[in-house]
Amino acid sequence: MASEVEETLKRIEGQRGVVGTVVCNADGIPIRSSLDGVATAQYARLLRKLTVMAKSAVRDIDPQNDLTFLRLRSQKCEIMVGLENEFLVIVIQNLHQ
Amino acid sequence: MFTDEVLDSVGIESQWRKSQQLTRESRGCQTRALHSTDAEVQTVSTAVSSTQTEPQDHVTEQLLQHEEPEPPGLRDFLRQVEDRVIKELVKNARSHAFDGYQVNWEDQSQLVSCRHRLQHPSAQERSLHVTSVSWSCTGSVIACAYGRIDEGDWGTEKSHVCTWNLDRRGLNPKQPDLVIDVPTTVTALSFHPNQPSLIAGGLYTGEVVVWDTSHTQDPVMAQTGMSADSHREPVYQVDWVPLQKRGEFGVLSASSGGRVLLWTLDPDQGGFVLSAGYALVRQQVPHSSRSNYKARGSSHVGVTALALSPWDSDIFLVGSEGGLLLKCSFSSQTLAAAPSEGQSVTLRAPAVFSFRPRNSPIHSIHCSPFHRNLFLSVGTDGLAHLHSLLQTNPLLSVRVSDSYVFDVRWSPTRPLVFAAATGQGVVQIFDLGRRSLRPAATIDQGGANQAATCLAFNSQNPHLLAVGKTDGTVNIWHLSADLTEQSPRETVQLELMAREVAE
Repeated sequence: MASEVEETLKRIEGQRGVVGTVVCNADGIPIRSSLDGVATAQYARLLRKLTVMAKSAVRDIDPQNDLTFLRLRSQKCEIMVGLENEFLVIVIQNLHQ
Repeated sequence: MFTDEVLDSVGIESQWRKSQQLTRESRGCQTRALHSTDAEVQTVSTAVSSTQTEPQDHVTEQLLQHEEPEPPGLRDFLRQVEDRVIKELVKNARSHAFDGYQVNWEDQSQLVSCRHRLQHPSAQERSLHVTSVSWSCTGSVIACAYGRIDEGDWGTEKSHVCTWNLDRRGLNPKQPDLVIDVPTTVTALSFHPNQPSLIAGGLYTGEVVVWDTSHTQDPVMAQTGMSADSHREPVYQVDWVPLQKRGEFGVLSASSGGRVLLWTLDPDQGGFVLSAGYALVRQQVPHSSRSNYKARGSSHVGVTALALSPWDSDIFLVGSEGGLLLKCSFSSQTLAAAPSEGQSVTLRAPAVFSFRPRNSPIHSIHCSPFHRNLFLSVGTDGLAHLHSLLQTNPLLSVRVSDSYVFDVRWSPTRPLVFAAATGQGVVQIFDLGRRSLRPAATIDQGGANQAATCLAFNSQNPHLLAVGKTDGTVNIWHLSADLTEQSPRETVQLELMAREVAE
């Protein structure tokens, strides 16, 4: 039961370049994480805010539409946020090998 | 005549007093009676308990997992989102969409411009050359040493060491903030890497001096003096070396007498104590098998250039008047074959490895701050050689100019960029990442007969480059953004370059 969740997260983390994963719930509270406490809290809090704004932007343009995925590319890494049912999964991938 | 008379007394009644009395009344009040009762309470049974915190686990993921078994919906969520996430991750790892895409949000300056031209009028009157420049560890003070480099015999000219604080508002380029008078030509200068007020200098007479700029009365903090320990020939390079004890630094000085000496400061006596000495003797220089260098002349190797490796504290590099380029080790134990002149420390032969010698004196060596094996050397033949510490032959040879090249420095921010000061007065900046070996930028102040003798990058503010010239001016140049901003592939390119095996 719990192992299915762990297995799924392991599959995601096993992809090339993935640095860490954070799963958080509707209120931005991290549930599962592979990073340390400080980084987890930071990512969850900041990306939750960003996701809410992105979601409202998409829905304002077209109310039938909804946000499914958000990607942030920075100099050092790429942050991907997958959304569904008010949960968020944040994956950080490192680009330069 | 006079008789006693008794008169009646007269009384006058007060009128207002009586009226006050008339208006006075008395009133009284009283609270109602208070009801009070007594009661007692007594505990019948007692119990004792205490609490204590337990040492916390720092693995928060475990805490999170033990809090609740699983929030509802998590499994379904992950199941739904997993495929999408993995697809994106794989696509991103394979994507070339952003290759070579760089964005810079800061303002870019495209020009190299001269910020300041610093001069000392009395040095200019006597046509002194700038022999050495150094930035302080804070990056705001530039110190320069004056002297003459073209005199062959003992320079008895008095000279100066001047400092300017560039961050001060009232900066007067014609007037230094601090002028230290020195009895002879100063040939080398170096600021302390941690303490912004200490400067080490090497003199033409072979002395090594440390000045403390915070003492304006007598800035000389320590001096080697003319003892049996000190150099007899001009000191061409001084450097601060981190000692075994953390935070302490010693001064390494190299002179053309073939000696490299390591001094430690003795705070009690205010002088230097020789802690280690190295003598370079021709016979003890390791000869690489392919060199056809013939030993000639005097037996000592006159050192004209010295470089410390920022990666390996045991290694230092030495360049000589005869063109020898040697890798030396601080911990070498072989005794030097030089005649002992009554030094307090036995001299050792430090040379471990010899690179391919050049045909001309080597003026400057600098180790790359980005790669542990690379260093540059320049000499009077006008070429800059890029060497790897592991090979005798240079990896790359760049023609800098047709005349002498006096100084070369790697850029502190871009792994592939270095600047060289030439005898024609021009500073050439090369970018090894470019295909062609022509300079990426040329800084020409004008005044073709004035050689640029020394240059220094400011490590705190990497846009600034100080260049000292023989006309006695120090120019501070502000470099353009493309010379100072690192692009992502540079360290990789440097690594590839270092791994090439020279033919």
